[in-house]
Amino acid sequence: MTDTLPSFQQYQLAFTARIRNPHNQPVPTDVVPERMAVYDEIVFNNLLESVSACFPVARKTIGKAAWLKLVQAFLKEHSADTPLFRKIPEEFLTFLQHSKLALAPYLQALCHYEWIELYLSSLPALDSPSANTHGNLAQQPLVFTPAMQLLSYDYAVHRISPRHKPKIQEPTYLLVHRDANDKVKFIELNPMTFKLLTLLKSGEVTAEQALIMLADELKHPQPQIIMQFGLGVLLDLQNQGIILGTTY
Amino acid sequence: MMNRSHIHGAGLGLKRELIPQIQSHHNQTLISNIQFVEIAPENWIDAGSKASKQLDWFAARYPIVCHGLCLSLGGISPLNTDFLQLVKQFLNRYNIDIYTEHLSYCTDAYQGKQGYLYDLLPIPFTEEAVHYVAQRIRQTQDILGRRIGIENASYYAAAPISEMSELAFLNAVLSEADCMLHLDINNIYVNSVNFNFDPLAFLRGIPQERIIYSHIAGHYQQSPDLLIDTHGEDVIDPVWALLKDAYDLFGVFPTLLERDNNIPALDTLMQEVDKIADLQRQAIPRSSRPNTTTLTSLIA
Repeated sequence: MTDTLPSFQQYQLAFTARIRNPHNQPVPTDVVPERMAVYDEIVFNNLLESVSACFPVARKTIGKAAWLKLVQAFLKEHSADTPLFRKIPEEFLTFLQHSKLALAPYLQALCHYEWIELYLSSLPALDSPSANTHGNLAQQPLVFTPAMQLLSYDYAVHRISPRHKPKIQEPTYLLVHRDANDKVKFIELNPMTFKLLTLLKSGEVTAEQALIMLADELKHPQPQIIMQFGLGVLLDLQNQGIILGTTY
Repeated sequence: MMNRSHIHGAGLGLKRELIPQIQSHHNQTLISNIQFVEIAPENWIDAGSKASKQLDWFAARYPIVCHGLCLSLGGISPLNTDFLQLVKQFLNRYNIDIYTEHLSYCTDAYQGKQGYLYDLLPIPFTEEAVHYVAQRIRQTQDILGRRIGIENASYYAAAPISEMSELAFLNAVLSEADCMLHLDINNIYVNSVNFNFDPLAFLRGIPQERIIYSHIAGHYQQSPDLLIDTHGEDVIDPVWALLKDAYDLFGVFPTLLERDNNIPALDTLMQEVDKIADLQRQAIPRSSRPNTTTLTSLIA
């Protein structure tokens, strides 16, 4: 099919096929190998730099050699669709999801965790929805800051390091948000708080209703303790600017 | 309307690392020679709340020009018109008149997508490529509703199928697309070493009336006959000499220092911006030269 293309495009395809896979694809006919090598290098290094900048922990944890192989596979196998440099790490996540390579079981979760910081900081300035700051947190639907997400992972992604590679799964719940100074912050949540906030973010129940449901689920002998704990968490989140107030 | 009077003098490529230093020296003599700044839309579109606050600060104080990296004018993938719409909004949002791109490509339509490779790859200098690229430049100009500039790109590997020189290719594209020239002085020098031609002869052959502004930068010498356009070193003397030659030949045009790697402190970087301004002061202003009227007619 490429035979029908103009010769300059046939040449371009041979050139980029080589760049994507320099170990297996030949240098295009009559191109000086030393000069081709410049492109093999600059394209790969540029990509490596963009990807590595977003995933410093993943890179260190799986080690330099494994990381280089992974980025080589990214260049070889993935077709990136965004011209925006900030979105290259997102392309890398997509590549990881579809890759048939044998990856460390925690790698996808870890990379997602590292990427979410970039993602939140890249969101535009979001208008805060109007909220009543003096409302009753227990009995009225809550308004959350728009630049936040609730995250659940199978691994304790926030504790992974070269010295701490998880061997077993450990369900982990995090709240990530961007504060008024554009700083992205993470808060570790216990499973109950995660459930509570997930229910409240849906906006369909009040905190009181949600906490009664949770106490029921837990068959807690003293639901009042759950209630106090839950409302304490919400006050704390309000002080941190994550809960803006109530809807009315 | 595109009007080069929006920018003049010397400029500096805006890197995030430099922003706090520029902001803290605002209105101080140290940076008084920065007359305009340049950004890559690919680094600033959808870049978040902090970035847009920074851009607002600059837009209120400096003319901004946009120099794109990923439009892939010579690429085999369809022109990314969704992206161009974003560029258009971005230019309007920050009141930016000038948008330039490289005469190169960075996509290969791999797996039926754009296939971005995020680097500047050399288009073979063929007749078919001239028509192809010129048509895509025209399409870009139609979408943006303005004339764009294209930059003579640095390259390292000659295509054996090329039918003409780089200069002939550049001129043919400029003429067929009827666009502006973003003249990169360092790229002329880099290519002249990499492909053994006379940089001054190249300079003499360009259509000077199309120059919108120019770039100057440092490069890395990998071997005596191979220079890599890293923007990571100081500008070398032969490149300064070539800029001076260009001013002597064509009169003064706006010139911007690119420094993308190995970025020194602002006061060190300013020595090179100041040097641009010095060369401009020493040269003949373009407006006093007889053939600048061609430029005005191009712009209208």
